[in-house]
Amino acid sequence: MSEESSTLADIPGLVRIENAGKEELTAHCMELTHAVYPHHQVYGQYCTLHEYVDCPPEAAYDYLRQGHHLEEWTCSLRDFAPTGTPGLWVGHDRLEDDTRIYCKVLANPEAMTVDYHCSWDQGEKLWMIYLMRVVPARLVLDKPGSVITWTNCRHPYYDDNPHPDLAPRPDRPWVGDYWDLFYAGHTVEMHNLKAILEHRHRGGLPVSVTPARAEAQ
Amino acid sequence: MTTVSLTDVASYLPGEPVPAEFYTDFPGAEDKLRNHPMFKVPPLRHHVAVDETNADMVERAVQPLIERHGGAEIRGVDVLLVHSQLPDLPFVGAGTEVARRLGLHPEWLVDVANAGCASFVYMVKMARQLLTSTDAKTALICNAQSAAGQWFTQSQVRKLAQAAIPGDGCGVAFVTTSAQSPVLDVETRHIGEYAGDMTLAVDDGRKYWEPGESQLRIGFTDASVAKVLARGNRLVPEVVTDLCRRLGVATTDIDALITNQPNRTFLRNWREALQLPAERHLNTFDAYGNLFGAAIPITLDRAISSRQVEDGDLMVLGGFAHAGDFAGAVAVRWHGGRD
Repeated sequence: MSEESSTLADIPGLVRIENAGKEELTAHCMELTHAVYPHHQVYGQYCTLHEYVDCPPEAAYDYLRQGHHLEEWTCSLRDFAPTGTPGLWVGHDRLEDDTRIYCKVLANPEAMTVDYHCSWDQGEKLWMIYLMRVVPARLVLDKPGSVITWTNCRHPYYDDNPHPDLAPRPDRPWVGDYWDLFYAGHTVEMHNLKAILEHRHRGGLPVSVTPARAEAQ
Repeated sequence: MTTVSLTDVASYLPGEPVPAEFYTDFPGAEDKLRNHPMFKVPPLRHHVAVDETNADMVERAVQPLIERHGGAEIRGVDVLLVHSQLPDLPFVGAGTEVARRLGLHPEWLVDVANAGCASFVYMVKMARQLLTSTDAKTALICNAQSAAGQWFTQSQVRKLAQAAIPGDGCGVAFVTTSAQSPVLDVETRHIGEYAGDMTLAVDDGRKYWEPGESQLRIGFTDASVAKVLARGNRLVPEVVTDLCRRLGVATTDIDALITNQPNRTFLRNWREALQLPAERHLNTFDAYGNLFGAAIPITLDRAISSRQVEDGDLMVLGGFAHAGDFAGAVAVRWHGGRD
């Protein structure tokens, strides 16, 4: 412990009970507590939202990890089909005409994390990353169901399209132009997700569905 | 319906200003918290004299009203409302003593013991109600605060970070049936669920009036201060916003907002929440400290004297009490300039 303390002593700016004391710590936190926060301060660099969903966490996770369900609960991602690269799918983001979106799902069943690695226009570098996690509501809210969290980070490409040449047309707006609407847009999509999962779970229906394209094939 | 105006205000600050060093240089003072806005020490405040009572302060505060409106006019008030932050006597409010000193014979006399730091708002509401529904034509509202120089200067309490924040003073208002500076509307809320969360701490567990050595202080724990912060952050913007909505104006249309002033954090948070620039949220915190219930009329008096409030301004006076058991705001169209 003393070794740890001496190591930490070299790091400026730490606020710990050992140096600040309880009252100072509390006062510091109160100073940081405002009545309201401007949108850009809360959602300017990161956009996180969370929702309670009345659906068992295993079923919610299983639904999310199957990327084709994005066609159900997102507002505008449609028509996913495999590319030549295993695990990489391509679909359309109907937010803008003729815009392709590439997507790969990285899921961890133990942590129940589902990360969608996506990009408009090209599948070489997937930088639009949607980080989602399913938490058993029993643990955190003491009730059945799931808490789903969803975070996006403002990758520099949101502000500066690295490949404007790949746009279907020169005047096609860039995905990052919508950043300030992400909280609202993702809230709408989270409500879709909640509505779908709850409708199926409460109705005793299968939560996950077969991809439309697989059905057709 | 009869229009009621907040016709004039006046104030009194006891003694010479007391510098921050009165607390910061005191042996054993708790200085750790002083860098934080919640506990940052105002440079100055006033303290009541040892033998100065609430009635003394009210008597002095009313003098400018007598000078401006005439002794007969003030003596003739039909309504006297008095809030004493620290009553000088149990049982007995300061109201009848104030009436005796000033020669008043009011039909209505109420010693208001609730609504704390926002009691001025509540008393304006009461005065308006009495002036519109009875024969009463004029009212005198008094807010006296005398805890700073008495409680917070006790040898043990003086060391605490909380002690350096309060200041003493008295603000009074003359309310009349007139259309000059009309009270446009009042929004008030009594919130019973937050009652009792502000306590007096006496370390040996005695009742405050029982003999003993321990010194009376305000018993906020860290956790309760956090709760009060959250409630205050929410309540004051809520009542002001609801008041503005009823008046059909935006909070950004407020020309002059005056609130109670518990600390700089609340002042910052309220003006942020109401989207008002600092220059339109007037306060006297640096000069007078936390004046509790007297803050609103004293700050208003100073704002008028220094012409920070101008003719035609939409003024909103608001605040919350104790640990959140009351919140209120009143809107006035100000035409009461002193030329």
